[in-house]
Amino acid sequence: MATTVNIVCKRTVVSTKAIEPGKYLPLSVLDRFMEKNHIRMVYYYQTSGELELGKLTKKLRETLSEMLTHFPIVTGRLLRDDMGHWKIKCNDAGVRTLEAKAKGSVEEWLRNVDREKELELVYWEDMLEKPYYWSTFYVQLTEFEEGGLAIGLSCTHLLADPICATRFMKAWADISLGNKITSPPIFHPLPPQRSQNKKPNNNSNPYMGLISHYKSIIEKPIFVKEAKYTTISMGFSHHMVQACMSMAQFIGSSSPSPTPFDALAGLFWVTLSKIKGIKNGFVDMSICLDVRKILGLDQGFFGNSMLYNKVHLEENLNLDLTENKFPQATRAIRDVVAKIDNDEIMDLIEWLENNDVNSSKMMNVHDLIITSLEDVDPYLAMFQDMFKPIRFSCYIEPVFGEGHVLILPNPLDEGPLGRVVMVTLEEEDAIKLCEDDFILLFSPTILMKCVK
Amino acid sequence: MPSIMPNSSNSSKNKYLKLFYQYFVNHIITLTILTIMICFLIELLRLGPIEILNIFNSLKFDQIQILCSCFLIIFISTIYFMLKPNTIYLVDYACFKPPITCRVPFATFMEHSRLILKNNPKSVEFQMRILERSGLGEETCLPPAIHYIPPNPTMEEARREAELVIFSSMDSLFTKTGLKPKDIDILIVNCSLFSPTPSLSAMVINKYKLRSNIKSFNLSGMGCSAGLISIDLARDLLQVYPNSNAVVVSTEIITPNYYQGKERAMLLPNCLFRMGGAAILLSNKKAEHKRAKYRLIQVVRTHKGGDDKAYRCVYEEEDREGKVGISLQKDLMAIAGEALKSNITTIGPLVLPASEQLLFLLTLIGKKIFNPKWKPYIPDFKQAFEHFCIHAGGRAVIDELQKNLQLSSEHVEASRMTLHRFGNTSSSSLWYELNYIESKGRMKRGDRVWQIAFGSGFKCNSAVWKCNRSIDTPVDGPWEDCIDRYPVHIPEIVKL
Repeated sequence: MATTVNIVCKRTVVSTKAIEPGKYLPLSVLDRFMEKNHIRMVYYYQTSGELELGKLTKKLRETLSEMLTHFPIVTGRLLRDDMGHWKIKCNDAGVRTLEAKAKGSVEEWLRNVDREKELELVYWEDMLEKPYYWSTFYVQLTEFEEGGLAIGLSCTHLLADPICATRFMKAWADISLGNKITSPPIFHPLPPQRSQNKKPNNNSNPYMGLISHYKSIIEKPIFVKEAKYTTISMGFSHHMVQACMSMAQFIGSSSPSPTPFDALAGLFWVTLSKIKGIKNGFVDMSICLDVRKILGLDQGFFGNSMLYNKVHLEENLNLDLTENKFPQATRAIRDVVAKIDNDEIMDLIEWLENNDVNSSKMMNVHDLIITSLEDVDPYLAMFQDMFKPIRFSCYIEPVFGEGHVLILPNPLDEGPLGRVVMVTLEEEDAIKLCEDDFILLFSPTILMKCVK
Repeated sequence: MPSIMPNSSNSSKNKYLKLFYQYFVNHIITLTILTIMICFLIELLRLGPIEILNIFNSLKFDQIQILCSCFLIIFISTIYFMLKPNTIYLVDYACFKPPITCRVPFATFMEHSRLILKNNPKSVEFQMRILERSGLGEETCLPPAIHYIPPNPTMEEARREAELVIFSSMDSLFTKTGLKPKDIDILIVNCSLFSPTPSLSAMVINKYKLRSNIKSFNLSGMGCSAGLISIDLARDLLQVYPNSNAVVVSTEIITPNYYQGKERAMLLPNCLFRMGGAAILLSNKKAEHKRAKYRLIQVVRTHKGGDDKAYRCVYEEEDREGKVGISLQKDLMAIAGEALKSNITTIGPLVLPASEQLLFLLTLIGKKIFNPKWKPYIPDFKQAFEHFCIHAGGRAVIDELQKNLQLSSEHVEASRMTLHRFGNTSSSSLWYELNYIESKGRMKRGDRVWQIAFGSGFKCNSAVWKCNRSIDTPVDGPWEDCIDRYPVHIPEIVKL
């Protein structure tokens, strides 16, 4: 079934209340580091059929307008401050919104979707030369002629990480239902370094995991591969994830069982290393985690708070035994996750600030990156006249290097352990991944496959 | 313009002298009659009652003479009442409140301008300078079709805007006045730049299923002063048709007239014109005198079209690329000043109190006879009116009129705040301004209002209303949710 997306119109949606002029919001060091990346998300909905689609889009725009009153950072524009750092001028310019139509119904679409098609549902424009006139957020509302709606949200990583973006959608959904926003956004700088706990000499801390990782990213030259990337999406049921978690443990081990993230990340790390032909050891990999809880930030904090950290394997591992590989990988991942603490993050932030990091580096260009979005519940974004989203996809672009694995919650499942994994890889690797025995052991449902 | 007479009101002695003079001249007729009556009474008292009776008997009144005198009095009274023009009541009016989603903040306007005119940075700079000094606020609204990138000014969208604006205003009017569509006898719609077939008045008749013998009129091309021209037309019609209701709809449809080229003289309207409309119910029914808000006292129309420069100063034409826009000449303010002087000269004698007119006459005579160097006296229009509604055509227009008529900032507050909140809504701006004054609780019974509008042609039209009953706040209207925030201070230049 041929499905095409036609853009009907493009406009700017502004908030309903005028903003006091002269407000500025600074961007934190973590925000500025993510300058070259952007996020694209798609939410799919089945419509109740009561309202004609044209009216539904109009109502959505109206509620978007109302919601934007709470997000002055989103309707503002980028400016450089005296030190050359990015900040946002809250000038009430608004969010670019596009409306589009697609043939067929949303279910048909989902059966045949692939990366290229899905990205047509979420508009994005790279930063203009003069970013003061460039919208940092884009919303695309695509109506399916035979039923259904897709809401595409894209934004620059400078302002938000995927968690903020999902909170943005949730706020919009809350307003559309006529409720107050459950966790209203708060814009403040990251918590400052607590001086009393400051170690006398930074260098005395031998494990500078975060700082050394960020340092290596900054120092490594960017080498962009000329390859075609594609994305596949797999759903793992509750039971399968449980099975995966038990397999990820060393037999007879008394250590606590791995989390679903640890297990699935380990699974993909091992499999992808095999696919890429790495015999001894694994492919270079970093994980990306949300550290809001560690930093003690409240629910409504709007800004980047996801950190990357490299996962190393211990020396002298016995990797000849293939059945050891998976548990080893999982354990290494778990160790890194457990090690990240408040002090280390504060040190990183301080280091980044002191070294006046030139943020022209890109994430996702070297290692395989495995991101955890488990704390996010995109399926809470229920709009009026539409039910729960039937599918949610997220892309953190651009992806070069070894690839990107995103682990998301799976709603269409009985248990809390179900997960959806979105993997962006070079095309050949992706094809091999779909056919890999180890992965197939866990009977994933292929939600989005690559087009051959 | 010349300044006031040397008789400045600095010293209170001068002030009292002036007040005494004004009271004396304004009430001269009353004072004269009073004096005569007092003299007569004194004479009567002097004569004594018997003497009065004697005089009365000697007059030898005849039965027929008495009867003829009575008939004469009755005859003259009847002729007087028949020839007296019908009183025109403004029962109520409703202004269109644009939906908040149509709001256009400065930043959005400039961004769109930059995206659409990306090859003409000078034109964009020009628009920014205009917007900074325009006196508009961040809540003015443009129709949905103009929000698109690029704008989509099709006829269908223009009709949609017309339906949105006109039908909301009419619905609001029906609710406020309890008027039934079938009771509308006269319908006048004025919209200068959008004139489809069937006309907008036919569109209204179709929507509300008005009577087949309705007298409908559609005025197009008459510019921002068309609102008062419609009122004038309604007044004339209400003299001919007794016991009738007239509905006047004043609006300007922005969608088809958004200039998409780069000529600077034509980009100005894009920056200032915004969505707006008003529906007014006028009536000559005697029963309305209880609930009507205003009575129409005067309408004065002045047309300077005979002068070529005035005719050409607001001109719709195609630019070099064939794009249609309205070009405004640089001498616009000067021509407006001339038109205003002309209008004031006509309206002055009709509304100014006798004291001001006498002063003006005396200074005129004095200038001719004694000393040509005497500055001509500018009558103080604040004596004639309590409220002023100056068409919010732009900040320059309001500034100019404030200077020329020597008005205080409170007098022009309604105009400035309307420009800030709603932008230049063309012919309907006078009604937003009137609503502002009402919403502030300043409109009391007996207050006189002067509405002045300028428009292409070049025309200057005025209407004078007298408030029929005090209007209590809160007033149901477009200012309902924001009147408490006003007046705001509008900076000379807003930094964008």
